[in-house]
Amino acid sequence: MTALDNYVAPTSLEQAVVQLQELGEVTILAGGTDLMPQSHAGRVKFKRTLMNIRRIPELRGISREGDEIRIGALTTITEMMAHPLVREHLPLLAQAADHFASDQIRNAGTVGGNICNASPAGDTLVPLMVLGAHVELASKPDDTLFRRSMPLPEFFVGPGKTRLAPAELLTAVRIPIPPKGFVARFHKFGTRPALDISAISIGVAGVLKDGKLSQVRVAFGAVAPTPVCGCATEEALEGKKLDAATIAAAAKAAQDEVHPISDVRASAWYRKEMIHNMTRRILEDVSANH
Amino acid sequence: MPETIQKDSLIGKRITKLDAPEKAGGKTRYIQDLDVQGQLYGKILRSTRVHAKIKSIDTSAAKALSGVHAVITAADVPWQRPIGVAKDHFPLKTDRVRSLRDEIAAVAAESEAIAEAALKLIKVEYEDLPVLSDPNDSLKPGAPLIHPEPHGASAKHDHLKQAQGIAYAGKPDNIAMTFDYQQGDVAAGERESDVVFEDTFHLHYVTHCCMGVSGIIAEFDSSGNLLMYSNTQVPFLHKREFAEILNMDPARIRIIQPPIGGGFGSKLDIYPFEPITVFLAKASGRPVKLVFTREEEFLASPTRQPVILTLRSGCKKDGTLTFRTVNTLHDNGAYTSWGATTPFVMMQTISSLYRVPHCLYHTKAVYTNNPYAGSFRGYGNLQATFAVEQHMDMMAEAVGMDPLAFRLKNAQDAGEVTPQGMHFKSCGLKECLTTAAEASGFLAKTKANAAERGKPGRFKRGIGIASMLHVGGGAKIYPSDGCGTILKMDDFGSVTLITGASEIGQGSETVLAQLVCEELGLPMSAVRVVNNDTEITPWDVGVHASRTTFIAGNSAIGAARKARGKILAAAGKMADLNPDELDLRGSHIVETKSGKVVMTLAKLLRQLHFSDKAELVMTSFYYEPPSKHQDKHFKGDVSAAYAWATQVVEVEVDTDTGIVRLLKVTGAHDVGRILNRLGLEGQIEGGIVMGQGYALTEELMVENGVVRNPGFRDYKLVTAPEIPEMDVRFIETMDGEGPQGAKGVGEAPAICIAAATANAIENATGVRIMALPFTPEKVYRALHAARKEAA
Ligand SMILES: Cc1cc2nc3c(=O)[nH]c(=O)nc-3n(C[C@H](O)[C@H](O)[C@H](O)COP(=O)(O)OP(=O)(O)OC[C@H]3O[C@@H](n4cnc5c(N)ncnc54)[C@H](O)[C@@H]3O)c2cc1C
Repeated sequence: MTALDNYVAPTSLEQAVVQLQELGEVTILAGGTDLMPQSHAGRVKFKRTLMNIRRIPELRGISREGDEIRIGALTTITEMMAHPLVREHLPLLAQAADHFASDQIRNAGTVGGNICNASPAGDTLVPLMVLGAHVELASKPDDTLFRRSMPLPEFFVGPGKTRLAPAELLTAVRIPIPPKGFVARFHKFGTRPALDISAISIGVAGVLKDGKLSQVRVAFGAVAPTPVCGCATEEALEGKKLDAATIAAAAKAAQDEVHPISDVRASAWYRKEMIHNMTRRILEDVSANH
Repeated sequence: MPETIQKDSLIGKRITKLDAPEKAGGKTRYIQDLDVQGQLYGKILRSTRVHAKIKSIDTSAAKALSGVHAVITAADVPWQRPIGVAKDHFPLKTDRVRSLRDEIAAVAAESEAIAEAALKLIKVEYEDLPVLSDPNDSLKPGAPLIHPEPHGASAKHDHLKQAQGIAYAGKPDNIAMTFDYQQGDVAAGERESDVVFEDTFHLHYVTHCCMGVSGIIAEFDSSGNLLMYSNTQVPFLHKREFAEILNMDPARIRIIQPPIGGGFGSKLDIYPFEPITVFLAKASGRPVKLVFTREEEFLASPTRQPVILTLRSGCKKDGTLTFRTVNTLHDNGAYTSWGATTPFVMMQTISSLYRVPHCLYHTKAVYTNNPYAGSFRGYGNLQATFAVEQHMDMMAEAVGMDPLAFRLKNAQDAGEVTPQGMHFKSCGLKECLTTAAEASGFLAKTKANAAERGKPGRFKRGIGIASMLHVGGGAKIYPSDGCGTILKMDDFGSVTLITGASEIGQGSETVLAQLVCEELGLPMSAVRVVNNDTEITPWDVGVHASRTTFIAGNSAIGAARKARGKILAAAGKMADLNPDELDLRGSHIVETKSGKVVMTLAKLLRQLHFSDKAELVMTSFYYEPPSKHQDKHFKGDVSAAYAWATQVVEVEVDTDTGIVRLLKVTGAHDVGRILNRLGLEGQIEGGIVMGQGYALTEELMVENGVVRNPGFRDYKLVTAPEIPEMDVRFIETMDGEGPQGAKGVGEAPAICIAAATANAIENATGVRIMALPFTPEKVYRALHAARKEAA
């Protein structure tokens, strides 16, 4: 039995951050698709106050702000998948959403929840990382609203652990609009086509010009306590002609730089093999289609 | 009133299940939806240790919690009797726990939340014992014993030690059960062989995953009569067994089955939660309802029998099978349920699916601290077929025959009596083989795929074939295999069919209603089926062994024919016509030849009911099939008919990932005759998907006695996009004993998918995998190992 003392449903960001500061012990509820199963399983204990953030308009909506797309924390996976700005500038996110859970979960689960839940297998995290996303955080420690932002990879500390301060709310993610020649791929590898948790996932992005990749970003999911950057793989690709030798070297680098664990979904060995094979496949696809 | 009505038949039509609107509309009231006035909620405290002695149990804090009405342990029910096939299992554990699911205490409280809180207050002290998690280890000399001594070794139980059952007597070794069968002389068979193979096959744990989790409500009335709302598949047998366990007069036990959310064999045995709920009802003096959580369902309901099977088989150069020797090790788990008896069915496949002159079969079911297996659709046949049908392909290749010709050469024919004593009065195996092979283009694809194997390319296609034999006319495992029917007609031409048969979602009530309507010339809307109350329905041995359509169907037809005779005799008298020249059509009495309407059925029935010598139309009929119990050598014609099928599976193997996709299943099923085409298709398609899960995705992962994936996140059922295209053909062999010629098909479709998939993967990749399931990692490892060897 979870004893909740208090339930609040602020209707503005201002109100929310004030309450967060004042009430101290607060569990934030967005779509609840992580929170509820986790609390049922006894892995998460509700704090004294449950805060439903779904009535805060400032957390909704997808918009263009200068050279960036801003995706509000409460954007559902379904909304993200369908939004014209995402489809035009960030098709990678729409594609990732299309491999996310099931319709029911996508309709309830939010981007902010996916990020704050900080699962190494969270399916928006790897694509957001290779798109160079920043998270936008808000709090009100004193009289003024305090906003800060940080690159997504820095936000993650461990499974379920982030740099979110106790009285802080994630308000949005910001993603730079990709430059000309930008290519990006995301591959979610699970053992079945629907409703699966990634055994591994891979994101690759960069600018392809004259057969060469530059500004390369690589990220892997479900191979470490957090989603991680593939620095060695990036290095193997940066500035290189995307030919068979480069691809083989990059796939090898990817396999060597990840250190996954064995669990019920896959062994470490198999995960490394899949990182290798899927990285190779993604790169072959990029090279064949551009 | 129409002037004439021509003969029409319901047989072979597509008839919607009678319970479909309620189920699709979410209105069906399963056990979860039932509440009884004044009921309490039961919860069970399970062991947190895999194998341990119970040093002490302290329930004082739980008892003191407000809202708690009863807290019980084994000490509170010293009269409890052991359950299970070997009577080796006390519902509440006495001196030790033998697996992680073991029941230590139970609580009845005013809400589930209070009951759960009370469980947390119970303190148990354990002393760990060494864990046996591999049946091979259980057989080693000096291995710790799982049932070393009487469970109730305290003085309190001394008087019981003398009685029967492992629970009282203990077991000086870890062997729960053995089976030995022999026909011919395998050594002679081997001498005649040109080709011999020996391989070991590993069959894993899967579980039923019924949508409706287990549950029960138990209630005593003031005279001490016990009423149970129970999901059992065998209400009449359980009446007696419950009486034994509870030390009660069976006549005082009534079982009502609410609509059951799936059975698949899982509800064929009594499990600890059922008597425990009765104990709680007794202790609290209140009705008690106990429903599992999904996690509990994974941990504490039975599994399919895991098997390590070594098969040695041989054939001559011309493809004639010569012998089979089989040794299996069944992981029995901590207690013995029906899983241990799957050899009954495995033997049949080994000895009689194809003609084999010499067979030797041994099974050892061995105690471990793992979960224990119950009965599960197919009952050992998936395991046996997996091994037998892979060896069939291997031998075919070795003698240079194609897989189809090799099977046809050894296939059974109608009329055959096998050395095990099974008499195949109808047998469509050869037609199943050729139909499935032709419809799928099996031979051409086999060649084409094999030719593509060595070429580069990530995706490889494969095609594989397998056949099966299963009882289709009941199974005489009890002294009787019968079923009774009562049929009564009202004043308006409607009929109430009261049958002993249980409905577990398979569509039995629909097909039984259909068979009755066919005899009585009624529309489906004119029947109500009553099938769920031991106080009302006639006796039956339960829903298992694909028996219901065959046995209960014949019984329903028998009752309907008696009613028909009464009706036509009365009509003949009333209209002064020869009853032999009358027929029942469209709720009317008609002249058979011309179809000329004589009167409405309703009118006739009213006249019968209101006459001074009222003859109510009410009949009863009991059907006992012409089958025989096996003798002590396991020989005998246990079923009145046998079902056959061949399935061809087409796969695509992703060699980069090991993912095997099922593209298409072509099935040919000897069903005797199609009764309800829609129901039949539903059974076959559902069975194929169940077979697919067994072959590819499902696995209850048990490590050192701990189930690691007790939830649908990591226990992977097949999802909709994975379901293959299906082309299912029906072979109608018109079985002479079957109801309208039909045979049982409930289990058949799940049986050969895994075997055919194994053969298909081999066709695609050249790699043969003898362990299930074919998960991506396992397949990838196998391919990878093969590549390494080649390099
Ligand atoms: C059946 C099922 C299938 C799933 N499949 C997938 C899948 O394929 N891929 C995948 O990535 N995930 C999957 N999930 C997980 C889950 O749906 C996603 O992570 C989802 O995006 C979580 O969003 P939510 O709004 O429901 O989060 P919630 O459950 O509401 O919250 C998650 C966590 O984040 C915190 N939080 C939420 N919003 C904020 C905020 N704005 N500021 C600060 N903290 C916040 C909450 O306090 C909580 O700790 C699945 C879940 C289920 C139940």
